[in-house]
Amino acid sequence: MPAFGSFALLLALALCAYNLCAGAVALRQLSTESGGRISPERLLETARRAGIASFFIVSGAAFALVWAAFANDFSVAYILHHSNRALPGAYKFAALWSGQEGSLLLWAWLLAAYEFVLRVRHKVDVRLTAYASMILSGIQVFFLLLLNFAAPPFALVAGAIPQDGFGLNPLLQYPEMVIHPPMLYLGYVGFSVPFAFALGALMMRYPGEKWIHITRRWTMVTWLFLTCGIFLGMHWAYAVLGWGGYWGWDPVENASLMPWLTGTAFLHSVMMQEKRGMMKHWNIWLIFSTFMLSILGTLLTRSGLVSSVHAFAQSSIGTWFWAFLVLVFAVCLFTYILQRDHLKSEHKLESLVSRESSFLFNNLVLLTACFTILWGTLFPVLSEFVQGNKVTVGAPFYNRVAIPIGLFLLFLTGIGPLLAWRSSSFRSIRKNFIVPMAAAGLTALVLVILGERPWQDQGAFYALVTWVLAAFVATAVGSEFLRGAGVIRRHTGQNLLASMVQLTRRNTRRYGGYLVHFGVVVIFIGFAGSAFNQSKEQEMNFRQSMTIGPYRLECLDYSQDSNLNYDSEYALLDVYRGSRKVMQLAPEKRFYAASQQTSTIVANHSTLAWDLYVVYAGRDPDSQHPIIKVFLNPLVAWIWIGVGIVAFGTCVALMPNMAAEFALNRSRVPAALSGLAQSAISSRGGD
Amino acid sequence: MSTIASALMLIGAFAYVFYPAHLVETQKVKSWLEFLRERREVLYDNLRDLNFEYRAGKYPEEDYVAQRATLENEAATVVAEIHDLEDAKSP
Repeated sequence: MPAFGSFALLLALALCAYNLCAGAVALRQLSTESGGRISPERLLETARRAGIASFFIVSGAAFALVWAAFANDFSVAYILHHSNRALPGAYKFAALWSGQEGSLLLWAWLLAAYEFVLRVRHKVDVRLTAYASMILSGIQVFFLLLLNFAAPPFALVAGAIPQDGFGLNPLLQYPEMVIHPPMLYLGYVGFSVPFAFALGALMMRYPGEKWIHITRRWTMVTWLFLTCGIFLGMHWAYAVLGWGGYWGWDPVENASLMPWLTGTAFLHSVMMQEKRGMMKHWNIWLIFSTFMLSILGTLLTRSGLVSSVHAFAQSSIGTWFWAFLVLVFAVCLFTYILQRDHLKSEHKLESLVSRESSFLFNNLVLLTACFTILWGTLFPVLSEFVQGNKVTVGAPFYNRVAIPIGLFLLFLTGIGPLLAWRSSSFRSIRKNFIVPMAAAGLTALVLVILGERPWQDQGAFYALVTWVLAAFVATAVGSEFLRGAGVIRRHTGQNLLASMVQLTRRNTRRYGGYLVHFGVVVIFIGFAGSAFNQSKEQEMNFRQSMTIGPYRLECLDYSQDSNLNYDSEYALLDVYRGSRKVMQLAPEKRFYAASQQTSTIVANHSTLAWDLYVVYAGRDPDSQHPIIKVFLNPLVAWIWIGVGIVAFGTCVALMPNMAAEFALNRSRVPAALSGLAQSAISSRGGD
Repeated sequence: MSTIASALMLIGAFAYVFYPAHLVETQKVKSWLEFLRERREVLYDNLRDLNFEYRAGKYPEEDYVAQRATLENEAATVVAEIHDLEDAKSP
């Protein structure tokens, strides 16, 4: 199998290189209308088939690696270092992406899968798809070069083959880790597709914005994968790392957030290009940056450039990535300089109070956040380069900057839909803002009456602002649904709920987008809860208890256990609320013999109001009693619910629109317009 | 076993890539007229959105009238250009 896998990777490299070269020659011939011995169309077809074949061959290589893991083939160095005989099957499968070589193979396989879909659906626009396919092959050639020459996943062990492997990193032995990395990678890799289409459209001076229409679903699906990947990572960090939080501004977390921020900016600003032919330069650079940040994210995760709890595989492939990044930037810059006159805007920004300007502000804020995070992430590297010593930027820096930026973004999420395209009059603003503003004011009043004291500390202040803005945005989103449903109801006589469903089905992109905004509101409500986190740590003997918030924890037992994969220590805790026993929790600490590493298994009781999060922190060396650390984290469940709403909203936005019953017929000139068109035609005829 | 599988994979890939295609997809370069037709559809969509938002009570009457006039003028220019090009194409 290792020989088969290595050969598959070599053959895939040859096929992708053929796709790149034959595609480039054929497209050159087509653009200059010159011909060779083989017609450019036939040459393009062979290139397309080479691309399709490469998917099956890279799949073969990935299959060979998974096979080696399940067959306990420890002659393969990668399997020796990331698996062992006692490892459960799901984690043997996850071994594919638990190390550097495997995760690069996953990158290549996912990219091949995206390319496969694109090449099969090439009839949507043959020429543009051929450009995109050629660019994607260029990216794939880079990853296959890495896999063949810098980080080969099928490298063999030198000398005697050990009887058992070193096992999988215990931190990765958690169910979510079976889906979190593929999700994140689907996001990272997926941005290659809109990037390739954008660069291809620019190279061929593609007239119009149809390329945006073609890539819209790709971009949204990719964004959804990245969003789910990031939040699954947060949930994993919360459930496994045992520090009571879900986001620590770790460089690898930041690496996933940066392309998400620019990708989100692109999803918004591209609407201006579609609707009004504006911001073309901006959008092109946004998608270029998003792709380059995805590569940077992979570089940070895999090269060991910055130290991180997540950077599982550290090596010297950084140089390859830097060279690739420079090459990508050079190609993008060269193409942009050559074709920038093609990106002329059809309209200018007419007013600062308009939906266009709200998109622009949203973009500026997202990019400011991205730049801040990039600066903080790379600061240790830059400081070492300039001063000779590494200065690390911690969570307080990010929180100081990111919280106000996040709140401003939340505010913009609310005002954007309330403003009109082109410009909004004062009357229009007053009409649309009055209800959301009243809801925000009322929320502030109720919270202060209920005991929120924003003047007491900064955390409470930010929490209050978040909840007030959440009320504003939720009301704005709700009023959009109610207004639209009102129109449907007047025309169809349906009830309000049915009208809302029909409204959403008529314009899935817009109302799916509003659902996403509502999900973001729910997530922010959850984030604000962290201002009121509490924690306690105590050594607990039998029948000893500790109290946190409304809960009392009593130690029932503590013991040890072991199986083939790990040994464990745990405590059994009865949890009471008042005099009523609510549940029993069993926080645990595991020791994995194969890898000689420990991991924490958190016991968490989650409700809508708060999480009771219990960690087995070890044993006191003198008394041998367990040390229990307890956190009471308010509103955390709202974050995971919000992500669910975001995912649902994105799925709605991905669905095709239902035909509107009373919309104007798309195939003819609107009645009101026909007269004007005729007069325009006659006036032009008279010129 | 690996050698046989590798050889089969190589032969299969070579045959698939270079097997003569009976039908090759071709596409003419997108014309200005096609671009204008796409633009017209976008403008109609914008008009439909504006009408719907007005009916939903989102804009005051004077804002709606001004916005609609601007969009209609823009659409009329595009429609006129489409007519010109279609007339020039027809024999």
